[in-house]
Amino acid sequence: MKTIKWLNPMLAIILTLMLAACGGNTNTAGNADASGKGNNSAAAVADSGLKDDTTPVTIQYWHAHGDAQIEGLNKMVEAFQAKYPHITVEPVFQGGYDDLHKKLQAAVAAGDVPAVTNVEVASLPNFADSGVFADLTPWINRDGVDTNDFAKGMLQAYAYNGKQFGFPLIVSTSVFVYNKTLLDQLGVEPPQTWDEIEAFNEKVTERKDGKTTRYAFSVPGWDTWYYDPWLINGGGQILNAESKAAVDTPESLRYIQNFQKWIKEGSMHMGYGKGASDNMRQMFLGGQIAMVQHTSAMLKTYRENASFEVGVSFLPGDQTRTSNIGGAGIVIMDGASDLEKEAAWKFVQFMTAAENNIGWAESVGYLPTRKSALETEEGKAYFQRWPQYKAVFDNFDNVTPRLQHPAYPEFSSEYKEVIGEMILNQADPAQLMPDAAKKMNEILEDYE
Amino acid sequence: MMMNSNSQSAPLLKEAAVKAGVSSTTTRKHFGLIEKAKDFMFAVPALIFLAVFLYYPLLNSVYISFTNWNMTKPVKKFVGADNYVKLFKNEDLYQSLKVTLHYTLLDVVLTLTIGLLLALLFNVFRSKMYAVMRGIIFMPHYISMVIAAMVFTWIYNGQYGLLNRVTELMGFEPIQWLTNPSTALPALVAVSVWKGVGFAMMLFISGMRGIPNEYYEAAAIDGASGFSRFRYITLPLLSPMTLFLVITTFISSMQVFQSIDIMTNGGPLQATNAIVYWIYTMAFTEFKTGRASALVMILFVIILVLTIIQWVVSRKQVHYEG
Repeated sequence: MKTIKWLNPMLAIILTLMLAACGGNTNTAGNADASGKGNNSAAAVADSGLKDDTTPVTIQYWHAHGDAQIEGLNKMVEAFQAKYPHITVEPVFQGGYDDLHKKLQAAVAAGDVPAVTNVEVASLPNFADSGVFADLTPWINRDGVDTNDFAKGMLQAYAYNGKQFGFPLIVSTSVFVYNKTLLDQLGVEPPQTWDEIEAFNEKVTERKDGKTTRYAFSVPGWDTWYYDPWLINGGGQILNAESKAAVDTPESLRYIQNFQKWIKEGSMHMGYGKGASDNMRQMFLGGQIAMVQHTSAMLKTYRENASFEVGVSFLPGDQTRTSNIGGAGIVIMDGASDLEKEAAWKFVQFMTAAENNIGWAESVGYLPTRKSALETEEGKAYFQRWPQYKAVFDNFDNVTPRLQHPAYPEFSSEYKEVIGEMILNQADPAQLMPDAAKKMNEILEDYE
Repeated sequence: MMMNSNSQSAPLLKEAAVKAGVSSTTTRKHFGLIEKAKDFMFAVPALIFLAVFLYYPLLNSVYISFTNWNMTKPVKKFVGADNYVKLFKNEDLYQSLKVTLHYTLLDVVLTLTIGLLLALLFNVFRSKMYAVMRGIIFMPHYISMVIAAMVFTWIYNGQYGLLNRVTELMGFEPIQWLTNPSTALPALVAVSVWKGVGFAMMLFISGMRGIPNEYYEAAAIDGASGFSRFRYITLPLLSPMTLFLVITTFISSMQVFQSIDIMTNGGPLQATNAIVYWIYTMAFTEFKTGRASALVMILFVIILVLTIIQWVVSRKQVHYEG
């Protein structure tokens, strides 16, 4: 009989524990529901008296700023905390964009999110689609933020379905980085239109015994971000108006057929696969490629490591002339509490403010995003230090958002593979593209 | 009076006895239950742990595999067997299975063969030299796969890699080991074999040392050649160890991930897109948690079936000494 006395309470404890363990799931579901409601209440948050509230609050800022950017970030956080003594910002480095996104997913699933975070521009639609980010519009209206001061394309890149989910924070775009010393010697200018490319190739390419010893230029094959603008500049579309794949139309194939021809001639280089980026960089620095398309964020590295003068040119145009936005924005998580969200909004505003824009951009090596900042004395001094960026800002409005679609990371790999087949197996892209388009449409079926 | 009282008390006593008897058996039964409950209690902490971290996630992922969840959506919409149907219709699944099986086959065969040959070579008693060499061969086993993969990424680099420097000295054209679809998979297998042979060798050596010398002596008296001794004594008596190595190597290479993640990212052109890596990209870069869970279930069934086959075959082929 003695044993029974302790058995019952024990069983009760175990059952409670098990129920608690099972209950964990229902709780998160509850949180997710709550965050769903939070979406509607964003306006209420923005209007409430929280603006001047000084209750001490600590917010986490999840970011993907690498070592080179940490110093700049710390300075900004310090300045922010000096301005708002009641807010403490804890920056948390979460690895590269992919790692950051995984952790965000897990945080949302667990119902325990940071207040403010980075998000890579191509992944915004997927998160926004699930209602993970807070719509900034009510706050923008409340505090009268002049959004027209942002470069238009850069701002658009962080809007989705008519809602502004974030502001551009570290913006890059792909540009041609060229060996200015060499091109000056040869007396050539980087091509500004597609028509000029063949003449450029002829003058710059060097061959020995039928093998190329110096390529005229290189376009990275490992990421669609680099050739999506080529596709668009040739007059093509990735998806048509009905959200069906359009990568196999004659217009969309123009760029890739040109690439195929130039690769066969031995004047164009394309790298594919892991490590290809490294290879391309080495070849450019070693003089085996005269001009490479790469992200503007790499300019600092090129300038520091090249034994020659480095120039920058905007991508050549044809039907249009555009280059896509890369990098990351800053967004507020909808699952955070109202108090945290208010603090997060102040942080977002501070990080993207015009008066901090040039200093921030220069310290992290990305592009300024504010038009007014470029006009200031500070902005002019910046251009003197970084004359290479002039080519980008002459085309400020040609820097456009990428195609926004939740399935982009998935379906883009289909036409990327065609590029891979062309580079690695000398396959004919025009023949493979219809099949890729078919696969893309199958993927898109899930999103109707 | 006494008699009377006796005769009167007899049925009472009997009743009492019966009552006592009944109650004693129930107590005994009860006691047995308590004993069982007590035994069970000892397993409870472990069971709770397993329930929270294994059974619940397992069952939940079965459920998720029937939804279109993406980890961030607040609702998990039930889509039936849609994920499975779409996966089986997707040719990438067959490509991925082919890659995985190809990798596994190469890895198991090479690791075991080379391990066995090394074991034959290094199974020498009383030699410090050989012990040191065994240690050197075993060393890669200590190295974490992440580090090994990063070192090999450098060795395989097409532009400035060590391997190409060596092949160039021998007069070959440089090969883009990791970005060429036909060399990427063998290159990955090589890393795994390099890491695994030392361990296989050690187990084979310990297996060999467990074989009684009498067999060899008897065979020697009968005039058996060195090869027949190996073929008819060493190999059959090593079979339990071989089975163990086949199953463990098989399971770990079916689940190859780290080296792919670091060295090739599943490329080039899906040449190394093994199934676990595909699951990972599906869940975490394409945000298709539901479909990835379905793929996990498929992998689970495949590994289960293949392991059962190995086990059944091995029951006929494995010789346990004595």
